[in-house]
Amino acid sequence: MSVYFGLAIALLAGAPQEDKDRTSWTISAEWVYTAAGDAIEGGLVTVSDGKIRSVSSGDGGQLQCFAVTPGLVDLSVRIDRGWNAVEQSREVTPEMRVVQALDWFDEGWMREARSGVTTAMVNVSDRNVVGGMSVVVKTAGASPQARTVKADSVLYGAIGSAPSSSNHPAYGRPDDFYSRRPTTRMGVEWEWRKAFYDAALAQRDKSKQVAGTTELQKVLAGEFPLMIQAWTTQDIRTAVFLKEELEREGLGAPRLIVDAAAEAWREPDLLVRTKTPVVLPPFAPQGRTGEGSFFALETAAQLDAKGLLVALSGHGARQVSQRLAYQPGYAMRGGMTFDAALKTVTINPARMVGVDRRVGSLESGKDADLVLWSGKPFELSSAVIGVLVDGRLILDPRQANK
Amino acid sequence: MLTWILGLGGVVAAVPVQASDDHGAQASFAVRAQHLRLFGNEVVHDGVLVVENGKVRYAGDAKRAGEIGHDVIEHDGWLSAGLVACRSYSGTRGDTLEGKRPLTAEARIADVVALDHVDFERALAAGITTMVIAPSAANVVSGATAVVKTHGASFVSREAHLALSFSDSALRFNRYPTSYMAALGELENALARPSGVWKRVADGKLPVLLDAGSRDEIQRAVRFAKDHKLQGALSRAPWAGELADDVKQSGLAVIAGPFDVGTAERSLASVVALAKAGVPLAFGVDAPWNSEEGLRLSAAMCMRAGLDGRTAWESLTSTAAAVAGAGTRVGKLVSGYDADFVLWSGDPLDLTSRVVAVYVDGQRAFGGAE
Repeated sequence: MSVYFGLAIALLAGAPQEDKDRTSWTISAEWVYTAAGDAIEGGLVTVSDGKIRSVSSGDGGQLQCFAVTPGLVDLSVRIDRGWNAVEQSREVTPEMRVVQALDWFDEGWMREARSGVTTAMVNVSDRNVVGGMSVVVKTAGASPQARTVKADSVLYGAIGSAPSSSNHPAYGRPDDFYSRRPTTRMGVEWEWRKAFYDAALAQRDKSKQVAGTTELQKVLAGEFPLMIQAWTTQDIRTAVFLKEELEREGLGAPRLIVDAAAEAWREPDLLVRTKTPVVLPPFAPQGRTGEGSFFALETAAQLDAKGLLVALSGHGARQVSQRLAYQPGYAMRGGMTFDAALKTVTINPARMVGVDRRVGSLESGKDADLVLWSGKPFELSSAVIGVLVDGRLILDPRQANK
Repeated sequence: MLTWILGLGGVVAAVPVQASDDHGAQASFAVRAQHLRLFGNEVVHDGVLVVENGKVRYAGDAKRAGEIGHDVIEHDGWLSAGLVACRSYSGTRGDTLEGKRPLTAEARIADVVALDHVDFERALAAGITTMVIAPSAANVVSGATAVVKTHGASFVSREAHLALSFSDSALRFNRYPTSYMAALGELENALARPSGVWKRVADGKLPVLLDAGSRDEIQRAVRFAKDHKLQGALSRAPWAGELADDVKQSGLAVIAGPFDVGTAERSLASVVALAKAGVPLAFGVDAPWNSEEGLRLSAAMCMRAGLDGRTAWESLTSTAAAVAGAGTRVGKLVSGYDADFVLWSGDPLDLTSRVVAVYVDGQRAFGGAE
C-alpha cells in the first residue's frame, strides 16, 4: 500500500525520485500568509520531519514561489462510495462511521491535494436525516492511519428536502429502499427531534438504548459538534430552533454547525444569538444553488463582520471553478478582506472541528501542510504551483518554475 | 533398469489402459508415465505412481520404485496430482444466497450440494479432483463453504471456511445493510461476542473467505483480518497485488481469478505481485457460471503475465489444497496422500495438453477408456 501511495505521489507530482519520502524543506516566498498574525514580506518557512519548525523573514529556500499559505481545509468534501456509503435501511444512523466506508485510493484525493486542499472532512451523504460520524483526513499520505486526523469529528445530518425527496410510502411493491420515512420536510424535522428525545429518554431508561443512541447523547453532552446541512432560511431556522429547543428542555447543549448555509444572510441574527459557526457552499453563478436557495456574494463578509466563525467549502462540487481555492476570491468580491477570507479556508474550519492544534495556520510545531502560489492567493490569475502535506511534496513548484 | 522393465514387462502388457470398467475399482495398482509432474516444479521423466487402497504409496522415478507388486498402467504422457479449484458453485443449482437476510453465518453450502450433479463431471473433465464450494458472496455473512471430491460423492469438509463479503455486492437496496459502514459494523459485532460458528472463527479453528472487489474493499478486509487475527483467504480481490505488502503481513492467501483471454493486464499483474511478495495463491473457477477449464487457463494467463511455473502449478494443486484446508490430504503426490491424479496428453501447464483420464481416491472417475 505504501508502495502504491509513494508511486502515485511520485508519478503525479513528477517529483524527483529522491524527494519522494523527503519531509524536510525550506520554502521562501515574497509573501508568507500564516493565517495567524500579520503576513510576512520576504518570508521563509522551515519544515523538518513533516512539521513546521519556523516561520520568519528570510530567503533562499529550496522551494521558491510568490506566496505561501497554510494548506486549505475543506469541511465538506464528498469523496465517498456513493450509495454504498450511506445506510439507507434506516433514516437515523448516527452510529455509522464514514471512516469505515472511505476509499483511500480514490483519485479525487489527489485532485483535492493538487488544488490546495490538504485537510478534508468527509461527511455522510445527505440521503439520511441523521447520517453518521464524519472523519477529518489528509488528502495525501502513506497510509490510512497516517492520514486520519480525526475520526468521528462531528455528527452529520441534513435538514431540508434532500433526505426525503426520493422517499415514498410503501405502495405497490414496497421492495425498495425508497419506501421509507420521511417523505416530507416536516417528517425530516420530526425525525431529528424524535432522535434526540429518544436519546435523552434512554439516558434514564437503558432499555430504550438503540444503535446510535450513544452518539446522540454525546452530541447533547457537547462532546463533538452537530453539523447539519441546511441550505434555505427555513431549514437554517429549523436547525437553530432544534438546538434551542433541546437546550430549553434541559436535554443538553448541542454544538451546532450549519453546513451549506447559503441563505444564512437572510436572518444572520438567528445564528449570532446562538453563536453558530457556518460553513458556506461554493459560490454559484447568479447566486442560485442547492434546494432552490439564493446565496449572496456578501454572505461571508456579513457573517464575519457579525463575529461568526465562517468557513468556505467546495461541498463536493465537481466544477473546477467551485473548488475551494477559488472561493475566498468570491468572498472578497462580496466585501471580505484578504486576511479574513484566508481564515475562512484555513484556521476557521480547523477550529470548528477541533483540529486547529495540528492544521490551519503556519506556526511552529504544526503539520507542514503548505500551498505554494504563483501569485497573490485566490486570484483567478494565480495558480497553485506547489503543495506539501505533512512535509511531503505532492505538487512540485520547481516544475512550474522551469 | 533394463531388468526391472523386463520384470514388469509381462504385467504391463497384460493390463492395458483400456481394461474393463472394474479396473477403476481396483484397490492397488501403479501408473507409469513418461513425465510425472510432482510437488513444486519437479518433473520426473519416466515416473511411476503406486496406488494402494486409494492412497499414494510412491510417486517418483520409476528406476527407484523398487518392486511394484501391482498391475502397472502405461501412460504415454504426463501424470500429475488432481487440480484443486478454490471457489466454485458447482452442484448447488444456484441455491447459494439467502437474499433477504444479510447475516446467515449458520448456513452451510454442504446442505445443498448435490454430489452426483453433472457439474462435477465437467470438473473432472477439466482435471479437477477437489473443489471448494462456496455460498454466494452477495451476503455480508453467507455461511460455511464445503470441500468436495468431484467423484465418489464425498465431502472432504462440510465446514471449511466462513464466507464473508466486504464487497458492494453484499450491499443491497432492498434490505439492510445498504452501506459499507453497517456491513462492517455487523462483522465487528459478530466478533465482539463470538458464538456458534463465529466462536470457531475467533478461536482460529475455522478460516474465513473474504470476498472483496475494489482496493478499498480489499484494504478493509485485510485490516479486519489483521485486527482480529483471522486466518483464511481473500476471494476475488482483483487488485490485491497493489496492496501486496499489506496482504502478506496479514497472512491471508488470495483466491484469484477466474481469468480468461482478455482479462485486464492489471488483474494479472496483481497476481504476479502477490506471488513476488510471497502471498499464497489459489484460483477460483466460479463454475458453473464459468467453465471448469478456466482453472488451468487462469494459471496460464498469469504465467503469460510473468508468474513463474512453480507458483502457477502450486496454485493449482498444493497451495490450493492448503487454502481449502486439505493440504495434508490432497494436492500433492506423496506417500499417504489421497490418490487423486490426472493423466494428461502433455504438460498440464501447457494449454494444448488435454485430460486423458482422472482418478479420485484411486478410482477411475473420468476417461481412460479409449
